[in-house]
Amino acid sequence: MVRLAGVRKRYRGRGEVLAGVDLEVAPGEPVSLVGGNGAGKSTLLRIAAGCASPTAGRVRGRPPVVGYLPQAAPPPARMTVLAYLRHHAAMHGAGAAGPTTATAVLDALGFTGDRAGPLVALSTGNLQKVGLARALACAGPDAPGDPGEPPLLVLDEPWTALDADAAVALGRELAGWVGAGRPLLVADHTGRAGQLAGARTYRLSGGLLEPEDVPRGQPDTWATVLLRCPSAPAAALAALPPVADSWDEDGLLGLRLPAARCDALLAAALAMGCSVVGVRRGP
Amino acid sequence: MIGRTSAAARYLLALLVGELRVLLPVVAFLAVLGVLFGGDPGPPPTPWAASALAIYPTAAWVALVVANVEDPVQRTITVSAAGGRGAVAAATALVALVADLLLVAVAVLFPLVTGRYEYPPATLVLGAVAHLACASAGTAVGLLCARPLVARVGWSFCLGATAVVVTAVQPWLPPVGTAVHALSSGGGVPVGPALVGLSAVGGAALLSWWVDIRR
Repeated sequence: MVRLAGVRKRYRGRGEVLAGVDLEVAPGEPVSLVGGNGAGKSTLLRIAAGCASPTAGRVRGRPPVVGYLPQAAPPPARMTVLAYLRHHAAMHGAGAAGPTTATAVLDALGFTGDRAGPLVALSTGNLQKVGLARALACAGPDAPGDPGEPPLLVLDEPWTALDADAAVALGRELAGWVGAGRPLLVADHTGRAGQLAGARTYRLSGGLLEPEDVPRGQPDTWATVLLRCPSAPAAALAALPPVADSWDEDGLLGLRLPAARCDALLAAALAMGCSVVGVRRGP
Repeated sequence: MIGRTSAAARYLLALLVGELRVLLPVVAFLAVLGVLFGGDPGPPPTPWAASALAIYPTAAWVALVVANVEDPVQRTITVSAAGGRGAVAAATALVALVADLLLVAVAVLFPLVTGRYEYPPATLVLGAVAHLACASAGTAVGLLCARPLVARVGWSFCLGATAVVVTAVQPWLPPVGTAVHALSSGGGVPVGPALVGLSAVGGAALLSWWVDIRR
């Protein structure tokens, strides 16, 4: 079990970002972090993953194998997808089956890029899938009960840039990870991680963690709405009731929110002069 | 741990091969060797004094490229994959030392291929050890001027150039001054300076790691 005790982090010029965080990440109990921009979620994840040190406090029980996915890492200039996955499997010590495990995750996430081509040629979504495959394959093939300590997975906004099908597929992959008794720590503003079985959600604000109650969603309690708005997407988004996730879909504004709040959102959107292009319910 | 560190070294080496920036110092070094040994350089080991002096900034430049080969965010991925910042610091030093060995081999063998003089084994050993002393000293300078110690590559260049220019011209100063002196004035095999250079690489790697784990 990974334990963060009294973790503080101070940056020069930015002050104290973490002001004494206590957190336990236990196998099979995924932890989802939410919080505003600049709240320190990424800093906390870096410290949990062992890529940064706390100014004060301790991290104990970090397993030797950590799959870590930061946000927006520019890819190496000339390396191909397969070479990248092979090298990272070797560094993780994932064994001979490591690269195969990674490509299996690529398949599951619906990767559509050229595997023998360079990483820089990939679209943002496909690059995100490569990063996810690399992190999820850090311990090699799924074993019922890892031989040593179970590996830790640390993901920073993993649903970024994924299309709807890949987003659902990632939920399934993470459910499989947690089901295998492995610890998972996710920063996620879409609310998907909080719906994983056994998940606990914490809000990071003012450098401290607060447990947050997340209503459990049933499979059909999410709605996806597509709008065509007269104003800019950002302005429209600010004027609408809060949603779990939003994206740009060929000039249309895509939104995801709990189905119970869908009618209120549609009413507000129509009142603003937006046109409703589509509404779908789903997981 | 050793397996994962060597995997990290192989990864950094693969990144370096796809990186044009590392070609620049190597091509410059080859050009210097071409000028030095192209005509009649004179009997060994004296001409090697110039190539040993040239390998010093070359190795510093290569080490700087090796240490800065990854973007800082990508580096956090590599650190978590390789199992810690120590593994990556060790892998960086390892790759820079491999590059040193290649540079030393090229510098020592270049006049053998082009030249007309006899190169007895003892002379070859003298040349190789002296070049290794200078190359490892350059690697240490490069590592000390690179990330994570110096974040901006402009500062890295200024600091590295200053360190190389100041230290290269002191004939009494190990490892570069004494190694070059051994070549130019017929001294013994500079084993001591080579050991100083290799220790400096170890020290620079340790310092990089020490600063990194305080971030």
